[in-house]
Formats: sequence, C-alpha cells, structure tokens
Amino acid sequence: MSNLLEIKGVSKSFGPVDVLDRVDLIVAPGEVVGLVGDNGAGKSTLMKIVTGMYSADAGGITLNGEDIFHHTPGERRRMGIEMIYQDLALARQQDVAANIFLGREPTRSVLGMRFVDRATMRRDAQAMIDRLGARLPAINRPVGSFSGGQQQSVAIARALTFNPKVVIMDEPTAALAVREVQGVLDLIRQLKSEGIGVILISHRLNDVLSVTDRIVVLHHGRASANLTTAKTSMAEVVSAIVGGGDMAEAAAHEARG
Amino acid sequence: MTSTAPTKQGPAPNLWTRTHGALIERLHIRLESLIVLFVLATTMAILSPYFLSVSNFMNILLATSTIGVLAIAATFVLSSGGLDLSLGSVMGLSGVVGAAVAVKLGAPTPVAVVATIAAGAAAGLVNGLIITRAFVPAFIVTLGMLGIARGMALVISDGRVIYGLPKAMVYLGQGRPMGIPMPVIIFLVTAVVMHILLAYTRYGRHTLAIGDNENAARTAGINIERHRLTLYTLSGALSGLAGLLFATRINSGDPTAGMTYELTAITAAIIGGTNLFGGRGSILGTMIGALIMGVLQNGLNLLAVQSYYQQMAIGIVLVLAVFIDQWQVRKESRV
Amino acid sequence: MSKMKTTLKLGAAFAALLAASPIMADGEYGVLMKTLANPFWGAMGQGVEEGAQAAGVAYFMQAVESDQAAESQLNVCNTMLERSPVAMITAAINSTNLLPCLKAAQDNGIKVVDLDGNLDPEILAAEGIDITFSIGSDNVLAGAQGAEYMVSRLGADATGPVLVIEGLSGNITGAKRATGFADKLAELAPGLEIVASLPGDWDRGKAANITNDILTRNPGLVGIFAANDGMALGAVESVFAAGKGGEIIIIGVDGNSDAVKSINEGRLTASVAQLPYLVGKQAVENVKVAVDGGDVERQVIVPTLVLTKDVIDAGTEPLLEFVK
Repeated sequence: MSNLLEIKGVSKSFGPVDVLDRVDLIVAPGEVVGLVGDNGAGKSTLMKIVTGMYSADAGGITLNGEDIFHHTPGERRRMGIEMIYQDLALARQQDVAANIFLGREPTRSVLGMRFVDRATMRRDAQAMIDRLGARLPAINRPVGSFSGGQQQSVAIARALTFNPKVVIMDEPTAALAVREVQGVLDLIRQLKSEGIGVILISHRLNDVLSVTDRIVVLHHGRASANLTTAKTSMAEVVSAIVGGGDMAEAAAHEARG
Repeated sequence: MTSTAPTKQGPAPNLWTRTHGALIERLHIRLESLIVLFVLATTMAILSPYFLSVSNFMNILLATSTIGVLAIAATFVLSSGGLDLSLGSVMGLSGVVGAAVAVKLGAPTPVAVVATIAAGAAAGLVNGLIITRAFVPAFIVTLGMLGIARGMALVISDGRVIYGLPKAMVYLGQGRPMGIPMPVIIFLVTAVVMHILLAYTRYGRHTLAIGDNENAARTAGINIERHRLTLYTLSGALSGLAGLLFATRINSGDPTAGMTYELTAITAAIIGGTNLFGGRGSILGTMIGALIMGVLQNGLNLLAVQSYYQQMAIGIVLVLAVFIDQWQVRKESRV
Repeated sequence: MSKMKTTLKLGAAFAALLAASPIMADGEYGVLMKTLANPFWGAMGQGVEEGAQAAGVAYFMQAVESDQAAESQLNVCNTMLERSPVAMITAAINSTNLLPCLKAAQDNGIKVVDLDGNLDPEILAAEGIDITFSIGSDNVLAGAQGAEYMVSRLGADATGPVLVIEGLSGNITGAKRATGFADKLAELAPGLEIVASLPGDWDRGKAANITNDILTRNPGLVGIFAANDGMALGAVESVFAAGKGGEIIIIGVDGNSDAVKSINEGRLTASVAQLPYLVGKQAVENVKVAVDGGDVERQVIVPTLVLTKDVIDAGTEPLLEFVK
C-alpha cells in the first residue's frame, strides 16, 4: 500500500524546550490513525506542523510522495490536508456558508470583476450539511448562535467540502453528547470507506480503539509506540501514554537480547 | 440523525417580513437603524418647517460627505478587528499636501488630486507596515500617526490655510452637475463601490473573517498580515479622499481640518451596526449611521439648538444603538 | 444667548423650541459664532442679543462646539441659509472655511457681515464675495496702544530690554498685535530694545517658561508685551516668582475677567481691552442701517481701551461699561 501522508524525523523546539524529537508518522489511504499522548506530549504541535501553521526545525513531510515541507497552510489545504480544530476555528459572526467556504469562496465574473458567488455557496453548504445529516436552525445565521454540536457539524462540513485526502481531527468528540459522538465515529468510518486518510487525536481511548487501524503514541515529544489497533489493548495503550512499566520492561528485555 | 430542511423556529413570519426581511438582510443592514433614521427624519420634519426640502436634503448629504467617507474607512478597519485613530489627521494632512502641490508647486489638477489621495494612502501604508511588521498594536501606531500627520500638516502649511486651488480642482468640491453637489456624488459612488467590495468580494469576506476570528482566518489560508497592510492603506487612501472633498469645498488646504473626526467616523460606523471588536460591518449600515448623525445635526441646527446639546444627542444615539444591537445579539443567540 | 436654550433637559429643549420656532417674519438676522465656550465670544453674543433687542430686529444665533470645528461651522452656515435670513453675521473660524456658504448667501441676496475681522479681503476678492462690512477691533492698533502705554510709564528716553510673547505661530491676530507693538515702540522709544519675540502659542504655561528663560538671560528686563491676557498672566507668574514683581511692566491684550482681577491685585500692569460686547452690539446696529438702505463703512473699527488700575479705580472712562 503506497503512503498518503509521510512524516519523517520531524523535530521542533520552542526556545530551549524540545517539543518534538524525530517523530515519524505514516498514513495510508483509507487508514485511520489514532494519535494519543498525555497533555503536552506534542500532538497539537505535530498536527500544526502538518497543516503548515508551524514550521518544523528538521525532518520531511510528503503528501502522495510530493514534498510539502515548505508549502504554506493555504497550499497544503488546497492539496487536500484538512484539519478540524478542537476550538473549531469558526468565525462566529459569519453564517454557515461563509465558514464552510472561508478562504475558498467560489466566484463568478461580472463585467470582468470577480464577485463571491453567494448562491452557489449557499446551495453547496446546504448540500453538505444535508449529507452529514446535521440539524441546523438555519443556514443563514451566524454560527455563534448554534449549539456546540451544531458548530461541530459546520467545522466538519468545512473540512469535507473540498474533497480532502487527509483529515486531521483534534478532539472532535470532547464536547459532544453521547448520541453525537456516535455520529462522529460513523462519519470517520465513512471517510475511511471513501479512501480518505484520517488522523484522530483524542483522549477518549474507547473511541480511538473502536475506530482506528493503528495508534501512534507520543511521549515527551517522541513517537514511543506504533500499535496495530486489532492487536493491542487499552492497557498497552495507557501504559505507552504514561511511559510506564511494561514498556520499560520491554526495552530492558530487548537490551538483554 | 435525520436530515431536515433548515427552518427558523417560532411562528412563521408573515409575507412582509419574509420578503423585506430578506431584502434588508441581503443589503447587510439592520432594520433597527433604518427605523431610527426614519423616526428621526419624521420628528425633524414635524419640528422644523425648513427640514423637508430638496436643498436641505442636499445640505444633509453634503455635510455628511467627508465624515461619511471617513466612516467607510473606519468600517473596513473596525470590522477586521483593527482600529485607525489617525483618520482625521490624515484627512487634514492630505488636504494640505494637495493644496501645497497645486498652489505652491503649481501642479495641474490631476496631479494634485492624485497627490492628495496618495498622501493619505502613504500614511496608511506606514500605519500598516508598523502594525504588521513590527507588531506594535494598532491603537498605538495610529495614535502616533494622529500626532505625526497633524504635525506634518502644520509644518507643510506653516500653520496657515493654503488658499486658491485651481478652478478644475475646486469643481470637485463646489461643482453642482444637475444640482447635486460634487462631494455628494463622489461620496455616494465611493460608498457603492466600497459596499460591493466589503459585501460581495473575497477581499471583503476575508476582512470580516479576520476580525471575527483571526485564528480561523489564518487556518483558512488567508494571509492576515498582507490583508491588514492593504486595509490600513485603503483606510489612509479614503482619508485622503475625505481631505480632497473638504479642501476643494473650501478652496483651500486647512491644516486643522478633520480634528477629532476619527471619533465621529467610528461613531457613525458603530451606530450603523459595525462591531467595534471586528467580524461585522457593512457600508450601507454605516451610511445609515452617518445619515442618522447628519439628520440629527442638521435638524438641531435648523432648530437652532446649541451645539452642546447636539453632542449630547449624538452620544445618546451611540449608546442606544449599541444597546439595541447587544440586545438583538443576545436574543438571537438564545434561539 | 436665549435663556430658553439653557433649559437643562434635551426633551425640554425640544418642547420649548417647538413652541418657539414658528416661521419667523422676514427680516431675521442669522448670527454664526465660533463657539460660546469662552468669555470673549460669550460677551460678543450678549452684545448681539442686546443690540438686536434695542434695534427691534429678530435674529437667531448658532455656534459650533469648538473654535477648531471648521467644517462643522460650514455645515451649520449652510443650514442657516435654509431659513433665508436677510443678513448673515459670521465670525469665521478661519479665512476660508465659510467661503462656499458666504458665496451662496450672496447669490441669494443675503447681506454678509464679517464679525471680528476673520476674513481676508484678498481671498474675498478672488472668490467674488462682496461683504457688506467687516467689524472688529484693530489688532495693530491694540498692539500700538500697548506700546504707547509702556512708553508713558517708562519714558520716551528709557532704555532696557523688552520681551514680546507672540500668539500661535502663523496666526494673523497674534502677528498683528506683536507687529503693532514693535513698530510703535521703535517709533516712540528707540532706547527700548526688543531682545526676544517668541511664539507663546496662546498658552499660559509656555509664556511662563519663555519669561523665565529670558529673565535668566536679561535680568534687567523692563517690559513684557504678550499678545493675549492668558500669556500675560503666565508672564506675571514667572516675574513674581523671580522676585521682580512690580519692577517690570507687563501688558496683555483682551481685557478678560482674569486680567481685570490681576490688575486689581496689582500684578498685571495693563491689558489692552477689546470690547467684544460692543463689537456684537454695533454689528447688529450697522446691519440694520445697511438693510434699511443706509451707508455703512466697509471697515467698522471698534475701539480698544487700555485697562489699568487707575482707569478701573477712577471708573470714569465711558467705554468701561462695555468691559465684561
């Protein structure tokens, strides 16, 4: 299976603090990779390096084999890397269509000048919201007036509207009711079936275990474990996250030869 | 989860609110400000026999033209989450530069006109460069420019009005094609163009998005620094245009022109529904805000009410407008 | 100033004005001031009011929020034309800000009066505006009167350094007063040497600093002339602080109440009083003459009065009643 997204040896430090240390992470098409770790382990920093918000000090990133290390966030987004932020990154006073198409507004030409094509925006936004089966009070309202779950739907709709190749979700279920959590997990499975690569950052290990193919554990800025979900257990994952006994023992065992 | 067509909750709106509500929404204005304008105009018409006349209507538009152009600039900057306190001073500086170029250097009208607006744009560009490159807060930078531009205007003019612009230039301020004063025509055309820019182009939508949530705009791939730079330059250029309108109207560059206008312009924008903290704003709304102030001032002038009361009245309208707005926003967010 | 307009509440003001603003009979005079937030303009407004009452003419007066609000004043001027007054008596904020309004007034057959001489005859000629008359004090003369009084106190053959504190640099009024003083002084007492002539920017504190500096350089200073009372009072403070109170002749211009108080206390020596009340009163009286078809001089000069402790104490000077 050829790789969709390849992160090789990425390092990053903020001043004297090493946040990431030679991290590798690979996502294949249609693969769901869980990215877990304690607070401050470097998950968010790693993802911001993938989307281009931060630049890494060293390492390489490729998408479908193309080097994107020096691409801007806008270019990476156009190439198909989408991220759903934990804070959703919504413009709260703008309506649903404006948020979904932010930075990528369709235009039409009138007398040689380009204007935002609001009709298309509204129609496509409505279609995407319908496809997600989301319930919104009205599509032409400021998203700030929506509930947390409704805002989440808008953020997801924005990530999916432009046929992404890789979707990164940062704690997508943290603020949701149980019923809504199931909807997000179903959505992830649907993305997988469409051949989209998904990176799921979550503290809810049950969700991670139920939906991912592989789990990468970050510990103090290093990828300390790369586990196949089908062959691992909650205990092993937790142990890797806290950097606890099992792993130390395993390391010792290996050292003994 | 089942898919449902989005509907507004509550009783179905009647036909009037459906059709007109949609129109008002499409024009990006709040119904409340239109009602305030209408009530105010009606009151003035009842109180003063001089209010309802074509020539007085032109007076109102003419009196609103400079402040209106500045208010357009304020709308762009405020709705992007920025602030430009140098609007009035840059207006004064531009008028003096234009007059100096025309009178002292004897340049032809087109050169002087371009110089006037370019002087404003240059001041705005400096604001923008310092804000986006040196990361000094806009409040500080534009407060500094408020002093710098005013000082430069006084230096260039030696503290005196520079009188005697070329005939063609004066036409921009005093001409009346078809009975409509030129400043009014220039003001209205500018407003229409700027309304389209803010409401119907990607540039405008990105402006609002940056003011709404800078982080969201950045993750959406918008180059925020470059956008801000162009916004402050635009603000400066519009201040230059305001300076041109006033200078040509009085046939001279006045170094004290536009003092404290930045606050009046911001007031007009906010009465018109612009969010002081960014994310919301429309030029049509601002026009209504500026007209509310213009009608209020004109009416009180016609009634010969002392200027002190006029300032009180405008202060009251400002606070009321924001109060109604907040109340409306709270009501909406409860839906 | 109409008492009605000082009614406290805005609502009350509305109601009162509703009652008070039926369409006035033809023959109203429009009076446009700079601002009333200063005793000088307040006194002039009072002169207009009482002059109008005495002459039996109707008038309406407006002012703007500050004496820098040039465009505001133009807008108010345009609005005033809506009431079609027979005459516009205007105290323009600068020499050009009212030009379009004055031209429109003239085109509508409204007589235009320059109150307090803020308009520039050359600019008026270039714009084709023919004003009925200009009324005000002669600032050159006011300066000269200051010099005459100084020489009368020191003697024509006196010698010694003199300081002149000018107004805002570039301001025509301050420049006229300073020049009037300097020219007359040179003519009457060539021995009195002006060692410095500096802009005090109408600022009391700045004038005090200038006085301090010059006193350090020229401890034998015999006289100070300041282009307005505020600056003269600043100079007074510095002179008394330096222990030279009573030794230096200090003269200001305006004759405002602070100056009168200081003169009574024996601190300020004299002030060349302008009589804004008289300017306002005579403006209305002359407009009435012009409206009724009579002849009015193109330039009406209202006298200025040298106020000193002796003049105030004697109380016999007829112009004294116009010092407000």
